[in-house]
Amino acid sequence: MTTVTTVTTVSTVSTAAATRTTAPLGRLAAAEVRWVLRRPRTLVLLVLLGLIPVALGVGIALTGGPGGGDGDGDGPGLVAAVAGNGLVLPIAALGLALTLLLPLTVSTAAADALAGESAHGTLRGLLLAPVGRGRLVVMKAVGVVAVAVLAVAVVAVVGVITGMVVVGGPSGTLITLSGTTLGLGEALGRVALVAGWTVVQLLAVAAVALAVSAFTEHPLVVLAAVLGGLIVFGVLAAVPSLEWLQPLLLTSGWAAGADALRDPLPLDGLASSSLRALVYLVLGVAVTVWRMRRRDG
Amino acid sequence: MGRRSWVGAGIGAALVAAVGVGLVVAPAGAAAAPPLPPVSPEDLVSSVMTAQRGPFAGEVEVDNALGLPAVPGVPQLANGTSTIRVWSGGEDRGRVAIPSAEGERTLVSDGTTRWAYDSRDRTATRSPAGDRQGPPEGQGQQDPTAAATQAIATLRQTSTVAVDGTAEVAGRAAYQLVLTPQPTERTLLREVRVAVDAETRLPLQLTVLAQGAAEPALQVGFSELTYGPQDPALFTFTPPPGTTVRDAQEQDRPDGQQDRPEGERRTVGDGWDTVIVGRAPTAEGGGQQQRPEGAPDLSALGQPVSGPWGTGRVITTAVATVIVTDDGRIAAGAVPQQVLTEALAQ
Repeated sequence: MTTVTTVTTVSTVSTAAATRTTAPLGRLAAAEVRWVLRRPRTLVLLVLLGLIPVALGVGIALTGGPGGGDGDGDGPGLVAAVAGNGLVLPIAALGLALTLLLPLTVSTAAADALAGESAHGTLRGLLLAPVGRGRLVVMKAVGVVAVAVLAVAVVAVVGVITGMVVVGGPSGTLITLSGTTLGLGEALGRVALVAGWTVVQLLAVAAVALAVSAFTEHPLVVLAAVLGGLIVFGVLAAVPSLEWLQPLLLTSGWAAGADALRDPLPLDGLASSSLRALVYLVLGVAVTVWRMRRRDG
Repeated sequence: MGRRSWVGAGIGAALVAAVGVGLVVAPAGAAAAPPLPPVSPEDLVSSVMTAQRGPFAGEVEVDNALGLPAVPGVPQLANGTSTIRVWSGGEDRGRVAIPSAEGERTLVSDGTTRWAYDSRDRTATRSPAGDRQGPPEGQGQQDPTAAATQAIATLRQTSTVAVDGTAEVAGRAAYQLVLTPQPTERTLLREVRVAVDAETRLPLQLTVLAQGAAEPALQVGFSELTYGPQDPALFTFTPPPGTTVRDAQEQDRPDGQQDRPEGERRTVGDGWDTVIVGRAPTAEGGGQQQRPEGAPDLSALGQPVSGPWGTGRVITTAVATVIVTDDGRIAAGAVPQQVLTEALAQ
């Protein structure tokens, strides 16, 4: 109770003197992003993410591609469609990475943002500083969003380059699953669509991770909760009698990324899974804000 | 305190919004029956038979509880719910997309040639459109308008036809046409229900109910439907680079020896208790259909049976019985086992 009143007074004071004491948001955001990107673990994870499309592309190029065989169950998801069709590589790689490595990357960032600061004892200083709690959450979220966007961009860009250089394809075109051929521009548009959709899904994971992060001072708890949650979602989705749960599970829409390879483009799956991600995003942000307004240290 | 309650209200509003969106994401429930002028069953049936199939685009939902073995690449045949996308340009032109997690099967008919493209092994199979024997498997199930019209045509002579109220299918008001087998028909089916669009008289949904089961054994119907002209590019198909193109006739005789199976196919009985007797597809031949190489080995399924017609194995599903004899004959129908054995003995 006392904390809340103190915070109220403090923030009133800061608003009164806002003209001189508030740092520009852009500078704060840049500082936070620089701070996040200087962590070795973020860099290691980004490099690992960049290796996924390279490994996929080189593997497929060396073996002549799984599509050359009988075509039955040659690999997870869309990997079979990559052979001789390089622009599918970024989409297949994003789909593979979305299952675990991308959520791991964003939840690491989210765990460091609040729980990590708390573990180092530095969150207390931030909370005592004459900064609105909302502003603090926004700045921390900016860092997490930056990691999510960067991670997806790394996979997509490395995927496109590897796809075009290593795997190759029919002269810069993309063969859809429906047997039609898309030009380079439209193909890149499809890759961008999947990348944007993946960012939205990741932000939902990140919002939930931030909410967990706001409640604990152990970063590992955040990682365990988020990755454990994803695995539990996968188990729940595999139980036939729990089919009614499917619309509630974030992961059940994650197969929709492959829809970008169908022609004409079906937007239903992408739209409904994005809507579901937004629900998780709103809930996660609401819980984070609610908790951070009350947090002591 | 004012600030605190403001925050509480904000979070409450966010939660309400989230739950609201969650309800939007969740599939909508059944709609109420729309009021429609009464129509006699005879008028409804004849209007369905003469309805013009104009261009449309739609999504077809298949809810399958037939109990068939899973066929790779066609998840729609196994139990469960799946979605198929259908475009029709009228005049025998159409496109069907059958998505699966790893790829897609695409069927395109431009009026003169039918193409079947499988993205998993990148093969395109070509057959002339006039060839009625060559549709890829399950095509009858994919376009509910064609499947339901054919079901009505086949069954109307041996059925009691009634109109059982109205329903809303894919946002369209529809009459529920119910075909019940006459008491003399020996069949496993209880009834077939067809939802007919009140305006265009196109069948929108086909529901098959088996004896002694409350849930439908098969429901095929539009979940989304828009009438109107379609992009003509949808109804052309050019095999993309790297595709193996085959002709359907070649596939029928891979070694140049195998007879066309339909030459030996005959039907016994009519209406609901029709039995189809033919030759079982041989394992190495690929069969009369474009069956994937991983097709189920029929000899390992079912219960052994024997009778004056020989010995074989019987496979029973919710709505059909199949007997595969040891000498390669196959008899199938939506009938009890006894009707099959009588047909085999003929």
